[in-house]
Amino acid sequence: MPAVAALPVQFAALEPFVTAWALPSENARSAKRWASHAEDFRRFYDAMLPRMPEVLAYLDEFPLHGLPAEARPLYHLALAFAESAAHVELYGGANKVPNSFDQARFMAAHGERTD
Amino acid sequence: MKPGSARATGTIAARMPWTSRYPELGTGPLPVEPIISPALFEQERTKIFKRVWLNVGRVEEIANPGDYKVKRLDVARTSAILVRRPGGEICAFHNICPHRGNKVIPESGNETFGRARANLLTCRFHGWVFETAGAVRSIPREEAFADLHKACFGLRPIACEVWEGFIFVNLAAEPEQSLTDYLGGFGEHFSGYPYGESTARYKYSAVLNCNWKVSLHAFSEGYHVSTIHSGTSPNLMRFEHKDFRLFGPHSTSAFFVLPIAGLEPSPASALFREVLHRSERHRPRLHEIPPTMNHERRTDFLFEFPVIFPNMLLHLSAGNGYPGMTYFTHHFWPLSVGQTLWEGTNYFRPPESASERIAIAHTTAYHRNGWLEDTSTMEDTHAALSSGVLEEIVLMDEEIMIRNTHHHWDRYMRAA
Repeated sequence: MPAVAALPVQFAALEPFVTAWALPSENARSAKRWASHAEDFRRFYDAMLPRMPEVLAYLDEFPLHGLPAEARPLYHLALAFAESAAHVELYGGANKVPNSFDQARFMAAHGERTD
Repeated sequence: MKPGSARATGTIAARMPWTSRYPELGTGPLPVEPIISPALFEQERTKIFKRVWLNVGRVEEIANPGDYKVKRLDVARTSAILVRRPGGEICAFHNICPHRGNKVIPESGNETFGRARANLLTCRFHGWVFETAGAVRSIPREEAFADLHKACFGLRPIACEVWEGFIFVNLAAEPEQSLTDYLGGFGEHFSGYPYGESTARYKYSAVLNCNWKVSLHAFSEGYHVSTIHSGTSPNLMRFEHKDFRLFGPHSTSAFFVLPIAGLEPSPASALFREVLHRSERHRPRLHEIPPTMNHERRTDFLFEFPVIFPNMLLHLSAGNGYPGMTYFTHHFWPLSVGQTLWEGTNYFRPPESASERIAIAHTTAYHRNGWLEDTSTMEDTHAALSSGVLEEIVLMDEEIMIRNTHHHWDRYMRAA
């Protein structure tokens, strides 16, 4: 956990996930997904899902392209949740899509973007 | 038991209602040789890919005067520069300097983007400068060349036309048809949708160790959906794939998802769907699809699903299928007889809030995961077909778009 809080105080309970999951690009978040275990996905999912309506409402107080620095880690956590939920909801905690092509060979043209 | 002597009862017309509407396609098997023959692959370069119109981009990718995109076209052993002129027109050129053949624009990967400053392109080798209309503007030490007719030393043009914001090139010296004539009824069927509003694009690509037609054909049918997509898409286990229509080498169809009792979207998917569906821009907007599609105006319409000869698919769903997604495309670029660059691109109207952006990331991830399932069979299929064990493959009724693609592939390959 970072020594200085990365999230707005009302989301302090999500602070333990910041270092691992609040990653700014899809490529970085994909690398985290591929390296995660069932329990990592489950803990992150269970912590995020009930807070998501509140998280989205908080983020929507700012213009999308003018998110202040204090909102960005939370924004990246929410993106990581959006991209990883299927591992819990559909894939039984597996870190790859069952019976799939090698995900490392899929290139995302937008993969390094941080918007 | 031989294919065709199956125990199924009923006439061909009853078993294959779509295929039997097009008797010119027949109902027989397809040969495997076009998939594995190096000699036929060499012929495809000239008889198909240097003859027909190929979609190489969208106008929004080069929105401003001077913007360019360089698209590698390995199948024709060239790269196309697509550049927007000050008046808005888009021109295409081979990426080769007419002096000694260097690439005018250095490329990084399959697609390279940049901007021609002051609407000029400069070859970095010896500094020849070209206008974005192609003419050579200046040649350093021009006086040291013998009898150089500058008019003959412009960039080598490629025929380029735009349909509904999709940029097409034709590598023939003189295309035998305009793009409008080439697209024919397909172009009319898909015209009128506001494609240009969906400027948010999320594109994936992969080099697949399979022939381009293995990949194209796998994405050209819905027969695989209930097996291949059972992991990511339990909601797609009941569907209808119908309304097949052929437009010369192109074809189309409509895909519908049927309800499954007791199956609810997962909590995250339900949450993000709600975010997009309460937005006027991202909600299902079935009224926007062209009037010739989904003529019954069914609300369980997932997408209109065509094959655009030779190597493109364009799924139009107007936000009624995957949440927020207006349309998506596939392209299959041959690299060698056994290697293909696949590109899949998802299009959305741009998000205007963080919650919309995050919900779009969910849809994109879900669809990417489905594509990881789709692509999982292709290298196995190619490897197995390369054994030569099978000389033919067989198709069921709803694989008719594969049959049509092959029918016209054969027609092009037989042409002189």
